[in-house]
Amino acid sequence: MDAMTVILEASALTKSYGDTHALAGVDLSIEAGEAVAIMGASGSGKTTLLHVLAGILAPDAGSMLLRTGRGEIEISGLNDRARSALRRETFGFVFQQGLLIPELTALENVALPLMLRGTPRTDAEQLAARWLAELGLTGLEQRRIGQLSGGQAQRVAVARAQAIEPLVVFADEPTGALDSTTSSEVMDALIASTTGRGRTLVVVTHDEGIAARCGRVVRLRDGRIVESRSRVAGFDYAQTPPASQAAFGAPAEQRGETR
Amino acid sequence: MRTLAIARLLARPAASGRTAIVLPIVAFGVATALLLTTLAGAMTFFGRHDELAFTYQALALLACALLLVPLVTLGGSAARLSARRRDDRLATLRLLGANTAFVARLTVLESVLLAIVGASGGVVLYLALTPLVGLISFRGHPLGAGALLLNPLVVAAVVVGVGLLAAVSAVIGLRAVVISPLGVRARQSAPKVHWMRIVLGVLVIGAVVLAVAQPSMFGGALTIVIVLVVAFAAANAVLGLVGPFVIRMFAKSGLKHATTPQRLIAARTVLESPKAAWRQVSGVSMTTFVAVFAGTALAMIGAVSGERMPHSQEVLLADIRTGVFITLAISFLMVACSIGVGQASAILDRRDLYVSLDRMGMPVKTMDAARVRSVLSPLRIVTIGSAVAAVVVILPIAGAALIFAPASLLTIAASIVGGILLIWLGLLATRPVLTRVLAEPVAPRE
Ligand SMILES: Nc1ncnc2c1ncn2[C@@H]1O[C@H](COP(=O)(O)OP(=O)(O)OP(=O)(O)O)[C@@H](O)[C@H]1O
Ligand SMILES: [Mg+2]
Repeated sequence: MDAMTVILEASALTKSYGDTHALAGVDLSIEAGEAVAIMGASGSGKTTLLHVLAGILAPDAGSMLLRTGRGEIEISGLNDRARSALRRETFGFVFQQGLLIPELTALENVALPLMLRGTPRTDAEQLAARWLAELGLTGLEQRRIGQLSGGQAQRVAVARAQAIEPLVVFADEPTGALDSTTSSEVMDALIASTTGRGRTLVVVTHDEGIAARCGRVVRLRDGRIVESRSRVAGFDYAQTPPASQAAFGAPAEQRGETR
Repeated sequence: MRTLAIARLLARPAASGRTAIVLPIVAFGVATALLLTTLAGAMTFFGRHDELAFTYQALALLACALLLVPLVTLGGSAARLSARRRDDRLATLRLLGANTAFVARLTVLESVLLAIVGASGGVVLYLALTPLVGLISFRGHPLGAGALLLNPLVVAAVVVGVGLLAAVSAVIGLRAVVISPLGVRARQSAPKVHWMRIVLGVLVIGAVVLAVAQPSMFGGALTIVIVLVVAFAAANAVLGLVGPFVIRMFAKSGLKHATTPQRLIAARTVLESPKAAWRQVSGVSMTTFVAVFAGTALAMIGAVSGERMPHSQEVLLADIRTGVFITLAISFLMVACSIGVGQASAILDRRDLYVSLDRMGMPVKTMDAARVRSVLSPLRIVTIGSAVAAVVVILPIAGAALIFAPASLLTIAASIVGGILLIWLGLLATRPVLTRVLAEPVAPRE
């Protein structure tokens, strides 16, 4: 196998909220083009890790490197403005609820990240239409978000995350609010449009089925990585002893998403 | 009792929840205090029986009528905030199987509670203000704090009235939740504004103009005042009908020509609910309206004040001037409050969305610009439209010479600028609500 190009490199990350050590020393390298699933019980620090990797949160300590073709960026050293610009320019995001702008049409929602980068509206909408078509949403361009089903809305969110052709797509429980059939459709779309095109995907999930479709599964407990296993060409090998798996077999407590 | 227990559970303030609870209370408080003060001021004119007493009473009623609309607007927006902030939770309760009547009781109870708490605070504020307001001089003497004390029964009636207003608003806001528990969360339907509004508007304006033109021929002071009050109320109702439609037309063209994200979002926000967009700025239509009336009144005073006249007449003119300024000031205060409340609730309503946009890297500046634009572009239309409507209504009585006199134009211009400035302040003052929402991105876990 070729020497992999590491695109994101986290070392010794810590992040605390008061007495809660959400991240207690995390080292993680993510290679360009790989799909990584982050798993673990509720409260184990998955979202926090995702947010630090994506530059949404600054870690208390540790380093968070982004390696692009143009060089290395220490993300945790950037100020808020620069991190916001980095997210807008290089990353794509899919959240549990699409959190699309309800007043905009599907097309406009997908065009928005492009417009934020300065792409003229007509060009942005053309590109957006192409992404929607790719995700099987042709004919729904002019629908407003409330007029879409949960799965359709989530695929619009996937399209939005792709629009700027990001280096890395971050997804936090992207199928958490969907039934299992819809959920696997959305996951198909997400994987096809990321790793399927050589992009990197980092996805937080409670769903073993979804994790199984990623090249690597990273398990967290109490803010530490306790397991990181890769799957190469259908053959699993564990980097940590299988003994530690038992603790994570039980499905995480299903959180009611009914705020 | 179960309703009460669950209401207490849901009312437990979270980070943003606190704003959603404090804001309506403050708004209800201010509205109540201003209403009581205005009532008290008007009452002071009703004890007398000399020849001018009647004129004063008529003018006091006119001022009260002019203030009624901004007052109801403020009360309404406070009530809407307290009720609408609960939509999400209520929809959830419905999904969990609580029955319709239970959800209705809960919302109404919460809104009324906040309103009563606010109104009680307003009573205290009104009492605290009486010494200050008492210094204002009418008929050659300061009013005096004692004269401003209202009958406790009237005060109680006002508090109950504010509670009722909250209840009615809550019930109206609730219909959406009760009809479709999922609909509220997803906001499926973009309400359409019918063109019939324009037709209806023109008809009513025409009728009002005719009515106003009639009595000015024989010119009884009371008739004029009554007709003015009716005309004002009617013209406002018309603006409320026509305004959203016109706003929607402009937003449509704005959408077509939107080149930047903030323009696009702003235009779509207005199109989503032209009525809501109208409500946010309709307060300014009040101040513009009041300004046109006030300007004309001042010009009228200016026109006659050069002449020789008995002392009592001079005092009357000076008093009218005072009254005009007080009316303007109070209406501005109320508008300022409704804008603050409206903006804050608009942000809180979209909390999750703003957080996710921030995470995706949308600059706060862009979000803020979209928000500001979605208010300011309807504002332009409202200001111009309401000034025109006010002039049309008042023209048959006052005549062009008075309306377009320098004193009048100056007052109108100053009020319009003041109104726009207020909206700006409202937007500026609520920016911290946005930044705070972004700084505390973790939604309160319940
Ligand atoms: N803003 C915050 N303030 C205080 N504590 C927080 C905050 N965000 C997260 N935490 C705490 O940090 C820990 C890790 O939270 P995180 O959201 O990363 O967990 P998670 O693995 O994503 O959980 P879930 O599966 O429930 O989404 C938890 O104990 C959580 O309560
Ligand atoms: Mg999480």
